[in-house]
Order: sequence, then structure tokens, then C-alpha cells
Amino acid sequence: MAKSKEVAAPSARAIETKGVLHAAGEALLSIAQTTGSMGLVAGRLLSRLVRLRIDRDELFRSLYRMGVKSMPIVVVTALFTGAIVVIQAAPLVQRLQAHALVGWAAGFSTFREIAPLLTALMINGRVGANNTAELGTMVVTEQIDAMRVLAIDPISFLVAPRFLAIVCTLFLATVLADALAILGACGAGMVLIGVSPATFYNSLTGGLIGVGDIMSGLVKSALFGVVIGLSSCHFGLAVTGGAPGVGRAVNATVVASAAGIFVLDYFVSFTL
Amino acid sequence: MSTSHGSAVPTQATPAGARAGGSHEPVPVTPPAPGFVAKLGGGVLELFRTARELYSLFVRTLYYVVRGRREKGAVAYYMYEIGNRSLFFLTVVMGFIGMILVYQAGVQNKRILPDLSMLGATYLEYLVRDLAASIGALMLATRVGAGIAAEVGSMVVTEQVDALRMCAADPIDYLIKPRFIASIIMVTCLIIWSGLVAYVMGLLTAWVMFDLNPQTFMNLQMVKYPALLTGLVKCLAYGAAIPIVSGHAGLSTFGGSEGVGSATTRAVVNTSLAVIILNLIISATSFLVFG
Repeated sequence: MAKSKEVAAPSARAIETKGVLHAAGEALLSIAQTTGSMGLVAGRLLSRLVRLRIDRDELFRSLYRMGVKSMPIVVVTALFTGAIVVIQAAPLVQRLQAHALVGWAAGFSTFREIAPLLTALMINGRVGANNTAELGTMVVTEQIDAMRVLAIDPISFLVAPRFLAIVCTLFLATVLADALAILGACGAGMVLIGVSPATFYNSLTGGLIGVGDIMSGLVKSALFGVVIGLSSCHFGLAVTGGAPGVGRAVNATVVASAAGIFVLDYFVSFTL
Repeated sequence: MSTSHGSAVPTQATPAGARAGGSHEPVPVTPPAPGFVAKLGGGVLELFRTARELYSLFVRTLYYVVRGRREKGAVAYYMYEIGNRSLFFLTVVMGFIGMILVYQAGVQNKRILPDLSMLGATYLEYLVRDLAASIGALMLATRVGAGIAAEVGSMVVTEQVDALRMCAADPIDYLIKPRFIASIIMVTCLIIWSGLVAYVMGLLTAWVMFDLNPQTFMNLQMVKYPALLTGLVKCLAYGAAIPIVSGHAGLSTFGGSEGVGSATTRAVVNTSLAVIILNLIISATSFLVFG
């Protein structure tokens, strides 16, 4: 505590003396630097992905560790958020006597926004952060340098498989989350406002929701996967400074991916 | 996080044990691989253990809030760390969320009835009752939760927490309590601010995309006291949950830099799950109480 306060005091004073323009310029420069180096990582990744120079065993291992092991979180999140959607809509439904529209409302909001967004946030926390921590630990303990010494390309051996695994994981997890969230919504509707599953199903498949709505959510989830994969690999490879450095990098990657997901969501929502 | 290299030991032990079976030497017994029931039971036990630890941490934090030592400036410092440092991130995210929500709601509303005059009032009610608090808290769970776990976790790894214990100072009093007070205050303030940002951006979106008059949009008649109360209870609950859950993840760090990374991961996931579960409980209770 005492140590952290000693560190804090000068930085707080430094912010006061720096001036707004200085701080703004510094922030802008650091954003530009992050974007640039992320672009470089993206270029290197793309060159390996196009030429299919990916380690297959590492890809399957990553898929298992990232995908299969994340299933409990995805299941819990999807069931709960589906139920929350219906609980939030419940007062409005009862006021308007719109019981026949519950399935449509839940399906629409789930497919288009809630399932892709919430799944991406949870996968970001679990897989993205974990990926940064692993790569960061390898950088700090100089394992990546050791690979380079042995003439093994760390991008195609370590980074590209993880990136691909994150994108696949998020896409498939969103498909699962779509289904489970609808199940959760159906359950909450039955228990709380007495909408029978048959009514729910009819309004869900009554023609107001098209394939386009589901596809829009799935396209989004693949793009979110690209954002999470890129930022977690970038921040993991850019770690400096021991154990606290790894913690800082994980913090930075989680924040950057979350902001990136929402900004991207806005643009995708408008274009699709 | 555990890497996948640790499973080599049992496969080596099994043939040795089989060969030694003929003689009368003590046979090295390999424990049978845990079956499905054992795994399930282990998971449930782990869940209960974590829940009890979280409860104990919460109670001890509350005790120190009342009886602990007062350190000058600590709470203000963490309020700056948690609040002011998250302001930019939260403003950007909530601005985009406001635009997305109003756009999607408007498009859907038009499919069923062409009258958009109640869009603003309904949007505000949802914002106050749930969306501002829950989405804002999910964002803060990643930003603040990861930060707390990384800070506390690297203090654990570098043995600064053990040093505190040797000085007869409880780490909860020094590390968790100031963050707890700061988080309750700042999360409430940040959520009110994020609701305002989302509302204003939604208003502008409705104006630009659907030609909806801002005066029609600015309709406060749907916001009643129950909605306000629910929103406020959510703010306080999330504000209390974020430092407790992520502080628990930080304090239970072990191992070197790998441990700090895994503690941060656990903090983000557990804090987000805590927000979602609290949201379900509070929303359902509010619906059952107020109707």
C-alpha cells in the first residue's frame, strides 16, 4: 500500500503539470503506436494464414483449450441473459397484453445483439486475457527468443494457431449461445409471465425473424473474434517488465478488445 | 492457467506398477482417473468453497470499513484510479451502445407499428432500470476488475502481501477496503454518467436516423420510482461485487508471471458472471415486487 502510494503521488502531480495539450498528444501518439503495431501483427498473421503455414497440432490444442474449456461459461451466460431479456420485457408485455410477441422480441434481440455481444465479452475475458497472459509469460521468460534462435517461426507456430482458434471458438460459441439464450428466454417466459413454450415457438418462427437476423449476428461474432485475437496476440507479444508487465498487458488487452467490440458493433449494425 | 504438459506422470507409473505386481513389494497404487460423478462433485465443492471465501472476504471488508484504520488519501487515490481513469473508456463504449440500441429498436418498432413517439420514453425506462447499470458494470468489470486483480496479484507474487502480514497488517484492510469504498462510490457515479451519455447519443441517433423530434424523445413519463430504485440497487450491488470478486482472484494468485495472468483472467470472468447473476436476481425480485 505504502509503495503504491509513493508511486502514485508523482504521477498524479505529473498529470497536473503536463497540461491538456501534452496529455492529449501523448494519448494520441500511444493510440497510433498501438494501431500501427497491431497492423504489423495482422500483416504477419495474414501472410502465414494465406500460405497455410500453421502448426496443426497447436491449432487443435488451442481449439480444445479455448473452445471446449470455455463451454461452461458460455452456457451459463447464455441461459441467464436469455432469461434477463424476458424479465426486462415482462412489465411492457403485461401492460400491452402482447404475450404473443415475446418470442419475437426475445429472438430478435438475442440473435442480433445480445448473444454475439455477451459471448464476445465473456470469451474476451476468458480466452483473450488468457492468451495474452500465456504469450506474455513466454515473452518475459524469453521462450519466444529461444524459438527464434532455433529457427522456428513463432508466428506460424504459436500466434497464428491461437488467432484462428479464437475466431473459430467465438463463432461456434455464438451459435450455441443463440440456442441456449432462446431456451433461457422460453423458460423465464413460462415461469414469470405464463407464456407457454408453444406460443413462444410460434411467435419466434412466425416470419418476423428471418435468416438475415441470425446471419447478421454470426458475421458480427466472426469479426469480434478477429478483434479479440488480434489485440490479445499483439498485447501478449508486446509485454515488457516481468510479472507486473503481464498483469498490465492483460488489463490493456481486455479493455482494448471490449472497446473495439462495441465500436465495431456499431458499424456492423448500420451496414448489415 | 495450467498448461497441458502435466499429464505425463500417471502413464509412466502404470507399467511400473503392473510389473511390480508379481513380487511382494508394496505396489505403487495409481489413483483411478476421476469419473464423471467425481468431476461433478469436485466442481460443486470448488464452487461452494469459492462462494464461502467470497462471503468471508465480503464480511471482513465490511468489518474493516467500520473498524479498520483510516489511511489518509487512500480512498481518494483509488477513486481516481477506478473512476477518472475509466471515464474515457466508458464514455466511448456507452456512446456507441446508445446509438446501436436506439437504431435497432427503431428499425424493429417500424416493422410492427410505424409510430415511434414512445421510443424515447421506453428507451429511457430501460436505461434507468437495467441497461445503463448492467452494460456499464460489465464494462467496468473488465476494466476495473482486471486492474485490481493485476495489481493485487503482482503484490502477492512479489511477496509484498506476505510482508504486510508480517507487519501484522491485514491485506484486506490495506488493499481491498479502500478499493471497496472507492468502487461503490465511483461505480454509482460512472453508471449515472454512462446512462446520460447513452441517452444523449440515442436522442441524436433518433433525430438523425428517424427524424424524431428531440422534444418527443425527451419523454420522462415512463420512469417511475420502482425503476429508479431498481437501477440504484443495481449500481450499489455491482459496485460492491466488482472489488470483492476481483480482489479475491488477486489474493488467491500463485506462481510467477503466469499466475498473475491467470488471476486477471479469472477476475474478468468471475466479475462478469457476478454482474450477470446479480442482474438476474435483482431484476426478477424487482419484477415480482413491483410488477
